Amino acid sequence: MMAKLKINVDGRKREKNGKADFFLAEEIIRLRLSQMIVNEGFKAGRFKVPVHLAFGHEALAVAVSMAMRRDDKLVLTHRNIAYNMARVKPKPREKAALVLKRFLHEYLLRPSGLQGGRFGSMNLFTPDFGIPYTSSILGNQFPVGCGFALGDQLLRKECVVFISGGDGGIEEGAFWESALMARSMRLPVIFLIENNEWSMHTKIDERRTPINLEKFSESLGLTFLSLKGNDPYEYQKRLSALREKVSRSRIAACVETTVRTLGDWYSAPNAEYPEGKFVKYHTGASPSTVLSEWPIMKEDKDDPLFVLKDFFGERRLKQVAKRQFYALKKVML
Amino acid sequence: MTFLEYINGLLRKEIAKAKNLAIFGQNIAAGSYLGGLTKGLKVGAGSRIINSTNAENSLVGLGFGAALTGANAFFFMRQIDFLLLTADQLVNTYNIIRNRKEPLRGSFTIFTTAIDQGYEGPQSSLNNFSDFASLARIPIYAVNNEYDAKQIIKSELVAPGFRIIAVSTRYMRQALQSPKQILYESSDLTTFQYEKGSDVTIVCFNFSYPLGVSLVTALGAKGLRASFFNVNAFVSVDWSKIITDIIRTKKLVVIDDSKSVNAPYFSLLAAVESVVPLKKKVIITRTLDSDWLVPNPDSLEINNARIIKKLL
Repeated sequence: MMAKLKINVDGRKREKNGKADFFLAEEIIRLRLSQMIVNEGFKAGRFKVPVHLAFGHEALAVAVSMAMRRDDKLVLTHRNIAYNMARVKPKPREKAALVLKRFLHEYLLRPSGLQGGRFGSMNLFTPDFGIPYTSSILGNQFPVGCGFALGDQLLRKECVVFISGGDGGIEEGAFWESALMARSMRLPVIFLIENNEWSMHTKIDERRTPINLEKFSESLGLTFLSLKGNDPYEYQKRLSALREKVSRSRIAACVETTVRTLGDWYSAPNAEYPEGKFVKYHTGASPSTVLSEWPIMKEDKDDPLFVLKDFFGERRLKQVAKRQFYALKKVML
Repeated sequence: MTFLEYINGLLRKEIAKAKNLAIFGQNIAAGSYLGGLTKGLKVGAGSRIINSTNAENSLVGLGFGAALTGANAFFFMRQIDFLLLTADQLVNTYNIIRNRKEPLRGSFTIFTTAIDQGYEGPQSSLNNFSDFASLARIPIYAVNNEYDAKQIIKSELVAPGFRIIAVSTRYMRQALQSPKQILYESSDLTTFQYEKGSDVTIVCFNFSYPLGVSLVTALGAKGLRASFFNVNAFVSVDWSKIITDIIRTKKLVVIDDSKSVNAPYFSLLAAVESVVPLKKKVIITRTLDSDWLVPNPDSLEINNARIIKKLL
């Protein structure tokens, strides 16, 4: 796709004529490889804390990070790794591997970790990078995020709060309460609902009736946006526009993103499951995922790396991935 | 002046002074103003008074989030029963906040009441603040009289950190209780001493202060002098001042009107009995019969004459 894009990167304007900004692609590859290195640590039994990897969530994480303005906040869930990695970017001349090392050290509960080893993974937040709170309790983060919006209003800061959640979290009453509260109090909040169809090991149709978030949003007067297809440029463009609208109108919004959490596997065959039992990836190691120079996991639009091939071609992406692979691998545990 | 009028006056004064403040709760700026508790509240420019939705758990999360930004939040919760809905935020969010390297810059206070005036029925008779405090070592202050109310509200209503301040509905329409004297108050406002005597040490908990006052008076009529403490908090209380007094008197009366079986006086007794053998120990607390959930007067009755007889 050849598009004219105007992208806000950390307050600096980038303008690319005739080709899409390659920075997003580099970031998606960095997030994928970094997570794969964490996964290798898990496979080797190096972590005591549970980590919920977010393979397949990278395009959304990078797009949200890019759509955020300086004082904006992002409030997260237990599956926070992609967002945290997207926000904690290497500084100019800083090696990406050193950033990854701080994540690994946090998961190892070392003082040199991102939060001094005090939070591990499920509650990892990074206030210096716009992530002031992360909750491992489903739904807990929604009202706290609304509180950030209220507090920043009182402090006269012009900002928007993005609150991440999933199709499991929206089953909690706190989601309903927070959406109602955000709309009633005119809080500049964007509820980012990642619908990966699974809550732990049950699919939506195994546990509940469908929830139509568009109609739900309409009933409360929230702006609704649906994102599908893992196109990071489209995601960023639409999220940036939505962010401006929410900031201006003080009317909260709800974004439903269709995402596929990658990393599923089949257990070893046995009498009950001669072909092996399908295991939906939820937490810990993904045994089927192998760190490699070209870290694509699925040859369809469920994988943001596959989508990037439409923009830049596989050869160029592979070159970048290979360079990042050897740079990041240096800190592998 | 009633206790309600006095508390309302203190709230109005402290709230008017606060900056970057959001006050929220159901009906706080409408109707009866929570029975008069929130009547006439005014905030400065930029602060907000919000008649909120009925969503207690989320309103507690809202308060924590606002305080994390450095702003100040104040949640008027109609009654302790609704605090039951907030356990996730009270425990899980507060734990995250306390595990951060930086202390909470903003203020978050929940102000609530025990519905202990009686005849409310099975769903509105909870007065167990110690159970909530115990969930996550939450600082909760029970306000009992003119002096402790003034000190606690002035110091804690809008101050960095989180706490719950509770009052008794039973007291609200009664005349304000004014202690004759203040002999001691702990710097953390968990313990106040109102009398010093050599015959017995009286320690009151929860909303038992008036019962302690009546016992002191009854003892005085018999020529006995009591030390009298009121403990206004439920966890993290430093017992040393009280224990020093008990070492002198060797006689202890505990009065606790809560229905909890997780009472802070257990901790006091354990601490006392490890340092001094008591000559007399009288524990006055709620005895609940099989009909305790049927609407009833719902108050702790004490018999001063019987207590004095036990002490002598």
